[in-house]
Amino acid sequence: MEVQNGEYLCLLGPTGAGKTTLLRIISGLTKQDKGDVLFEGQLMNKIEPEDRRAVMLSQSYALFPQLTVAENILFGPDIREYDKDVKERTLADMLDLVRLTNRPDAYPSELSGGMMQRTALARALASGASVLLLDEPLRALDARLRISLRHELRSLAKSMGITTIHVTHDQDEALVMADRIAIIREGKVVQVGTPSDVFDNPASPFVANFVGQSNFFVGVVEEKAESTFVRGDSGHAVLARPCERRLGERVVVGIKVGNTEVHKEGEGYFDGTVERILFEGRNIYLDMDVPGLGRFSSKIPSWRLGRLAVGDKVNIKWSADKATVFAMPPGGLDKELRVE
Amino acid sequence: MPEVSLRHITMRFGKVMAVDEVDLNIADGEYVTILGPSGCGKTTLIRIIAGILEPSQGEVYIGGKSMKGVPIEERDLGYVFQNIALFPHMTVKGNVSYGPTVKDRPMEEREQVAKKYLEMVKLLDKMGMFPSELCGGEQQKASLARALATGAKLLLLDEPLSALDARVRVDLRYELRRIAKKLGLTVVHVTHDQEEAMSVSDRIVVMRAGGIVESGTPEQLYTRPRDVFTANFVGETNLLEGWVKERHEGGSWIELRDNSVIMVENCDPQVGEAVVVSVRPEFVFPFTDGLLSRIEYLTYLGTFSRVSARSQSDDLVEFDVPSIEGKLYHPGQEVYLMFNRKAAVVYPRPIEGVSEAVKLE
Repeated sequence: MEVQNGEYLCLLGPTGAGKTTLLRIISGLTKQDKGDVLFEGQLMNKIEPEDRRAVMLSQSYALFPQLTVAENILFGPDIREYDKDVKERTLADMLDLVRLTNRPDAYPSELSGGMMQRTALARALASGASVLLLDEPLRALDARLRISLRHELRSLAKSMGITTIHVTHDQDEALVMADRIAIIREGKVVQVGTPSDVFDNPASPFVANFVGQSNFFVGVVEEKAESTFVRGDSGHAVLARPCERRLGERVVVGIKVGNTEVHKEGEGYFDGTVERILFEGRNIYLDMDVPGLGRFSSKIPSWRLGRLAVGDKVNIKWSADKATVFAMPPGGLDKELRVE
Repeated sequence: MPEVSLRHITMRFGKVMAVDEVDLNIADGEYVTILGPSGCGKTTLIRIIAGILEPSQGEVYIGGKSMKGVPIEERDLGYVFQNIALFPHMTVKGNVSYGPTVKDRPMEEREQVAKKYLEMVKLLDKMGMFPSELCGGEQQKASLARALATGAKLLLLDEPLSALDARVRVDLRYELRRIAKKLGLTVVHVTHDQEEAMSVSDRIVVMRAGGIVESGTPEQLYTRPRDVFTANFVGETNLLEGWVKERHEGGSWIELRDNSVIMVENCDPQVGEAVVVSVRPEFVFPFTDGLLSRIEYLTYLGTFSRVSARSQSDDLVEFDVPSIEGKLYHPGQEVYLMFNRKAAVVYPRPIEGVSEAVKLE
């Protein structure tokens, strides 16, 4: 895998996928069994972590509790024995950048979670590193605060022009923050792409379901033209994008819940009964039972709440260009979709 | 009949007032979420209901009976912790049948109860395993089954999903609500995650700084929050400061800081009053006229993209467009923005300032 200079890359995957291990290998804290790490073309395998110009920010921030905000930020420059005015300038810049100009003398225990996070970030940036390694940097914060800080963290990194590799298990966070996302599962990178690549053109059913939920339809390719015509065992048939799969091949069609259309009038690929309606704010989440196929879900704008009720008969469809055709995974679909 | 009633609950830790005169009634069979930022007092409150903490003042009633002096094990409730607390040396089945075992129920009954609840949380095939052999979501399901197996009709959930991966969390929250409703339980669920609160609750109680801000159904809190803090905390919103210029039945004019005016359907404050208008990004749209703003950046969010723009009075205004239309917008571009007048909510301008009033920590 290659990460560009100044790029913001998210490593996204479930717990135990190997994300943190990969980050530690890049930083030099863990030694890989095989393979090479290169920074700007230079082999890093034998270079000690402190000489790699990569700085790692862990989930728990690890600020020095006995040092003030200013002393924490200047920890790196102090060790490197920078000039006094260089240090002063660095400190002023960093405090300004992370909006802590009025708290340089506070101790970590006096700060809120968000402020501790920003102090840790300032300390990392002040170390003069050119690669920033973030291990679930927002995990310890409240959900709502996390959302507010996403843009802030990204724009800080971008404004410093620093190359950032950010580990997360949160697909929304990755979509919002990354230039590119690398999806990791069971120790392997399964797809690397821009947020829209990964969301709209997932490489596997796992990616389709992990980055925004998807419905799946299993069947056989019956026709290939402008779209792919797939017929299931139950006799139902659906349309999807053109694909490389052969006629007669058993495939999986994946469609995002947000692209799954539900209507009371007209005709769809199949009919279902609304089983559950959940209000989620911007959207409502619907579960439908389709005889012979099981559960299909849909996310629709919440202004439609009240126009649909539990027990309603609805038809389900999608536009062919939104649905992706995958080869049937070797271990079966259920195993492919496991997130833990 | 485990309705829960809190009367004037106050909790002080030294000089810190963690909970300040809270009154709350939870009906039998109701699923209530207590939602708020870190340090708002929500965890203290659920611990008081459980009997882990004794309040400095006030009383807890469960099923109409005062719980004063009643220890946790006699309150007839199930409790699930944030940090999964299973007995590591016992199998999943051993953990789940722990309650019935302590109560000296016959062997056969213990077995039956364990199987019943393990089936309900879809863990029957893992009952012979030890907790360390399960992944996080499964461990938390086992904790839930253990709490249910006590037979309690009151379930207390203290950030039950916080330790789990985002994707696992989403799957599990649907399960929580399904099971609670199936068993007719009264649930008090504490969380800092507004999405989680919206998707599981009959009613959400928003807490801040030791007190209750407001409570309502998820839909009420999202569409018509009574407090500007709630508007920002439960879902994202645009907050625009202005003054009431004209006020009429069914349509009032609000003048914004850049002198442009927007129309809102409902407006309680009087003409001349300083206000703040809350409009969610899905109810703002580009038009041929309206609030002139310059686009700063775009964020891809899957089926839609969020455009962030800055008005001439330096207010950040965000609006959503379907992702396919995202390429029509680019940083630096000027757009005129209109607001859905039905969806706008007008609040008196808080004395402490808007940013202070909606501060998250």
